[in-house]
Amino acid sequence: MNLHKLSSRLCPTVTQKFRHLQIQSRGQQLEAVGVETESTEQNPLSVFRTSEQDPTYHSERHTGQYYTLPAAHIQKLFPHGLPPRFQLQIKTFNEGCVMVRPPALELISYLKKADYSKPPLRYILYGDVGTGKTMCLSHALHYCYTQGWLIVHISDAHLWVKNCKELLPSSSRPSRFDQPIQASQWLKNFKITNERFLSKIKTTQQYVWTKRERTEKGQPLGELVDQGVNRMKSSSDVVGAVLRELRLQAGGATEGEGAFKLAVAVDGLNALWGKTSLKKEDRTMCEPEELTLIHNVRKMMKNNWSGGAILTALSQTGSLFKPQSAYLPSELLGEEGFDNMEPFVPVSVSNYNEKEFESCYLYYLDRNWLQHSHSRSEEGKKELIFLSNKNPSILERLCAFL
Amino acid sequence: MCVSLSLCLVRWSRYNPYYLDPDPSKDARVPESELSPEEKELQELKTVSPIKAALSSDTSSAFNDPLISKFINMMMQDGNKILARGIMTQTLETIKRKQVEKYHKSPAAKREEIECNPYTVFHQALENCKPIIGLASVQKGGKSYQVPVPLTDNRRRFLAMKWLITECRDNKHRRTHMYEKLSQELLAAFANEGNVVKRKHDLHKMAEANRAYAHYRWW
Repeated sequence: MNLHKLSSRLCPTVTQKFRHLQIQSRGQQLEAVGVETESTEQNPLSVFRTSEQDPTYHSERHTGQYYTLPAAHIQKLFPHGLPPRFQLQIKTFNEGCVMVRPPALELISYLKKADYSKPPLRYILYGDVGTGKTMCLSHALHYCYTQGWLIVHISDAHLWVKNCKELLPSSSRPSRFDQPIQASQWLKNFKITNERFLSKIKTTQQYVWTKRERTEKGQPLGELVDQGVNRMKSSSDVVGAVLRELRLQAGGATEGEGAFKLAVAVDGLNALWGKTSLKKEDRTMCEPEELTLIHNVRKMMKNNWSGGAILTALSQTGSLFKPQSAYLPSELLGEEGFDNMEPFVPVSVSNYNEKEFESCYLYYLDRNWLQHSHSRSEEGKKELIFLSNKNPSILERLCAFL
Repeated sequence: MCVSLSLCLVRWSRYNPYYLDPDPSKDARVPESELSPEEKELQELKTVSPIKAALSSDTSSAFNDPLISKFINMMMQDGNKILARGIMTQTLETIKRKQVEKYHKSPAAKREEIECNPYTVFHQALENCKPIIGLASVQKGGKSYQVPVPLTDNRRRFLAMKWLITECRDNKHRRTHMYEKLSQELLAAFANEGNVVKRKHDLHKMAEANRAYAHYRWW
């Protein structure tokens, strides 16, 4: 690890050249490749890895380089948030490395410059299948976590609209349906991520769950969350209450102690306004509006609160009744969703360019992942480019068995 | 690599015996100067004689492995090559994951002994499963005896693959996937342990026990 710090000290000219770079265009990235090659002769490792572990300091000169997610952060921040193949990769390589890419840097720069006394900005990450939307979202969330924000992370909204074993009619409202298992699972994960906030935030109103159970005004949020985890029947309503409390209190208090910024991250945003595959007891299809969890998350998506940001990513892979070629926000969200989310800031995520592909290839070589002798040659590399079209997920699946 | 005029002993093969096998690899065409006189004759023959059609599963890429293709064909059921190939790739991936995980967790001294390449693991495991001598049933004087008999290379390869596949299909828990069980068996065979190697040893012991009948073989 000392080698990386040595290399950045050895070439100070590189940092000066990059200070005036704007948000990248192709020509400038090729320039970046040209300048980087000076450092490669001194230290080949520094081309694909960076020693900068804090997302706050990531900038354009780190594009295409991998930074390591500290293991403690992964455990706390992403108990459920990372894609399953990436979790396998973490387990195999004994480390979690994320590539710094332009869409994530763009998102982080917007988060740095935004005004948090105004209503939250809504960012939507969109792109073709397997281009890295969830990973960019995770990178931005890591930034929010290191800055001490409160994180509300729904790792995949599609899981709430399909394959639900228990669908109970809601205890509080007649025409709604509860999903106790999903709600309590989410509350557990929320508790793991935001432990230090649970004792500081107090409820503003009394909540009555049953004849004998109620949460008084002024109780810490932790009690509310425990109520939902222990009593599965009312867990969906607890989720609604928690979200409401956070909405009311985010950025509200001006003293240093109580103020916090709220990051709402939803992956698979199109599930909120699509169709479900769940059926009611009279065997008619359920609308997403009739599910308590979905209804509450939709309320979070409106920008009638202040002191935070809403980061979302679309996803076709888990979506229901959408063709595989659909990836634009208007196609996936539908009319209703688009109208609800407008105005938003779209961030496009695309396949790797040459530098990023090079970086990924070198990373796999370093981790001893590309074993086939032909894949280590120039021709093999060209074959990999051809077969995967530099799509991150296809490349990952290809290299898995080579 | 030997290129011979193959006698088609394969059943139901409709090609005439003088048809040659296709060689899709990029190094098949070698310039004239580098060939010895016999190989020059072979090249002459290739320009004149007809060649069989190439299978759609053969590629000119260097990633193409004939042993793996043969194994995929043997695993295939009802012509579902996509499923068989998927299982094979998942097996190779699982083997590589297990070995690479072990590699990264072990200290630097032990890292060189761990074989991470799933292809070498597969080839070595198959070698370890191949029997050297087999048994054939010979009838003599109204009674049939199990006679120890040498096996051809093709027969040995076939037996190794067949044992591996039947072992993984039969002796696994209902909920274990084929690729998981296959990867476990291949890693065990690589280390000369496991049920398939045990079956090979049993065959050798039977052949050793029946060596008295060896002269019943007339071929």
